[in-house]
Amino acid sequence: MFTGIDIGGTNTDIAVIDSQINTYKVPNTDGLDNALKKISSYGRLAISTSQPLNEIITGHPADIRTITIPGPGLVYPGAVKGSVSHRGDIVEPIDPEEIKKIMKGQHARAIAIAGKFSVRNDALEKQVYDIVSQFYSDEQIALSYPIGALNFPARIHTTKLNARIKGKVASLIRQIQRVNPDFFFVTSTGGLTSPARALDNSMLLFHSSPATVANGAYYLTKHENCLVIDIGGTTTELVPLKDGKPIFETVVLEGAKTMIQAVSAMSIPFGGDSCIRSDLCPFRAGSSRSFGGGEPTLTDALNVMGARIGDAERSEVLDHTTAQNVVHRYLETIASAVKEYHPEFLIGTGYLAHYLLSDIAERAQTVGIVPEHAASANAVGAAVSKVSLEVHIHVDSERKRLTLNGITYPYKDTRDEEHLLSYVTELVRDIARKEGAPEEDIEEIEVLYFSSYDVVRGWRVTAKITDLVLAIAPGISVEAL
Amino acid sequence: MTCGIVYAPSYLTHEQSSSHPERRERLSYTLDQLEEEGIFDLPQIRLLTPKPAMRDDVLLVHTKEYLQFLEEASVTGAIIDADTYVPKGLIHDALLAAGGAITGADAVLNQEVRNSFVLCRPPGHHAGRSHGAGFCYLNNVAIMVRHLQQRGLRRIMVLDWDAHHGNGTEEIFYDDPSVLFCSVHQYPFYPGSGRFEDIGIGDGKGYNINLPIPAGSSDKVYRYLLEEIILPLADEYMPDAIAISAGQDNHFTDPLTGLALTAQGYAGLMQEMCILADSICYGRIIAVLEGGYSVEGGLPYTNLGLIAAMAGLDISAIREPEIYREVLEKAVSDEAFPIVIKMVTDLKKKLADHWYFIRQYDFR
Repeated sequence: MFTGIDIGGTNTDIAVIDSQINTYKVPNTDGLDNALKKISSYGRLAISTSQPLNEIITGHPADIRTITIPGPGLVYPGAVKGSVSHRGDIVEPIDPEEIKKIMKGQHARAIAIAGKFSVRNDALEKQVYDIVSQFYSDEQIALSYPIGALNFPARIHTTKLNARIKGKVASLIRQIQRVNPDFFFVTSTGGLTSPARALDNSMLLFHSSPATVANGAYYLTKHENCLVIDIGGTTTELVPLKDGKPIFETVVLEGAKTMIQAVSAMSIPFGGDSCIRSDLCPFRAGSSRSFGGGEPTLTDALNVMGARIGDAERSEVLDHTTAQNVVHRYLETIASAVKEYHPEFLIGTGYLAHYLLSDIAERAQTVGIVPEHAASANAVGAAVSKVSLEVHIHVDSERKRLTLNGITYPYKDTRDEEHLLSYVTELVRDIARKEGAPEEDIEEIEVLYFSSYDVVRGWRVTAKITDLVLAIAPGISVEAL
Repeated sequence: MTCGIVYAPSYLTHEQSSSHPERRERLSYTLDQLEEEGIFDLPQIRLLTPKPAMRDDVLLVHTKEYLQFLEEASVTGAIIDADTYVPKGLIHDALLAAGGAITGADAVLNQEVRNSFVLCRPPGHHAGRSHGAGFCYLNNVAIMVRHLQQRGLRRIMVLDWDAHHGNGTEEIFYDDPSVLFCSVHQYPFYPGSGRFEDIGIGDGKGYNINLPIPAGSSDKVYRYLLEEIILPLADEYMPDAIAISAGQDNHFTDPLTGLALTAQGYAGLMQEMCILADSICYGRIIAVLEGGYSVEGGLPYTNLGLIAAMAGLDISAIREPEIYREVLEKAVSDEAFPIVIKMVTDLKKKLADHWYFIRQYDFR
């Protein structure tokens, strides 16, 4: 049995899949605990939490103190002593007194620690962590090495964001584990991750909703090339699918690149709860009137036009002309955005898809369907996703060191590239297994990058350095198919 | 300032033999450093993809016979000298290196970037008109200079700061006043040439400047040469562009040479050259990688320093890690500076007829 939960802007969607699919909607106002009560602790649980995290990320700037360990090179703010070389050697030590001085009287909300080349050796970041943890709790400290890949500025930025949401992720984990101790989070690429990995690199969970929608829409329709239109309470998301998979792009936040990949989606700030003042407004001010709210919304306008969503009589405060204009405006906005993708086919998801998709398709001069369970396609997508991983591996045969996403693993003297590849592939499988991935889902390990070169000293080849990027691609679990 | 970096992964493929010092590893750590610094995400940096040079470009510099030899040797394999073999398939790598220099120069001339740094392999400055030597096959800088002249630039200054004398480039431009060749190099040392007395012939007399310096020469020596010769020389010559044969084997950790320049020294040199270029030739600098064999302690920091300087970034933290401090102390020689002062005095006497900046203080 697979259970998926997506915490959206307005509602929390739940999908339970065994021999058949059952979906539920719980208003967010009821609280996550109430939603969790509706599911059994049996089977696999995957939760997409992008909404509460997005709120923090896009909310007020947080007071985060960043400590960087840059060593030689370009200039970075927040620099302290210490340096790791490109080979992963510690070439300059940190000065504990310097760190203590920073921490004394420190009143930042959380601390981000990032060292240059820490993904090749995490020791200095950990030494700084040890000092910082005398002043701050673990949930308030984020380190950069688990992010795995080279790119110090992007790692600093991501670590800062991680520091900002780590506390929230930790409290979500505690809350969910009371119901189901072995659950998964859905990541921004639509893969699943263990709570432990999410704590190390919390930004993995950022903006996971479009990814769940993409997986859900594909699972429900098996349409490989199309545009998914997810009409939610707060926003409408357009998510293109190519060969059954969404498109990935690097997340840029606050004008700077992060180390996070996310599903490419266009977010339009109109949804069923967008309120109507003189015109349709790009924000929500409570629920729709038909669900007990105070101000009329797009949903209410649809009711005035003849739909029966919720307590339709409460929608009658709107006159027919306004309702018509508002719906018209919404359809035009979405249809013109849809046209930019030149889609062959549309899939409508979200609770208003049934009422709006055919009109959108007509205006965008294309066709589309709204599958069964479309209202909770996001939760379905969460339920059927599989554990996915991307790891950056650096192997140095002279230092006899193997780092995988910044963590040192046992080095093994391998004769050739093939043996090395099979060794590290098995390492990746082990990590996924420990996180709870079934064997069928980890058979295929993608090699995204492989580069190896000889170390030559005094006209002799003395060692070999190899860089690899391996991945278990996100997608739909074999078990759910 | 936008700095174009000309690079493609194919610049790693050239290999004379598995243990030759001019090897793939030379750029690997540099690329790690650049990637970790997020260089390619900066708005001041643009990555340019090299296009291979055309035969016609090469023939502006090299003889038809020599090019043909390289093409044939690239099929069969051949030996040029004790350190320079022609591995199979070489010609593709050599053309891509020379073409990279042209790509960098074109981007500067087309005003897509202000200056460019070509991270190419194999190097080129020992290659003469009709022969390769010292790890070099095609003279990347010379081919680029001739290409620029074909596009309408008149005078070009070539500053060659590789630790070895750029004898190939010297040979090509020895009688040509439209190219001011200025080489700073360890002397006496491979390839044996590069005496300060060699100032060019015919019309080119006075336009070939050799600055031989002894082992142990430090940042101070380079700074002195810059202020005393290179900057005033450029100011008087007023080139339309400056090409730099950016060898990085003068770094104090280099295993093949004995000079003692630091990464900060490199970055400082380049910063001065950029300021100079801004004032005389619209900032046009095309730097082309030559030698440099200190793959770990040198190249990542010097290459980053050069790029930072060319992109107008803060170079104050460009340095080597502390663990190399002792190596530096051993590498620097106090005897070098007086020898260089003497050399410069003699050189000035030799050049006084040709350059007003020297003549005005009357050295004879």
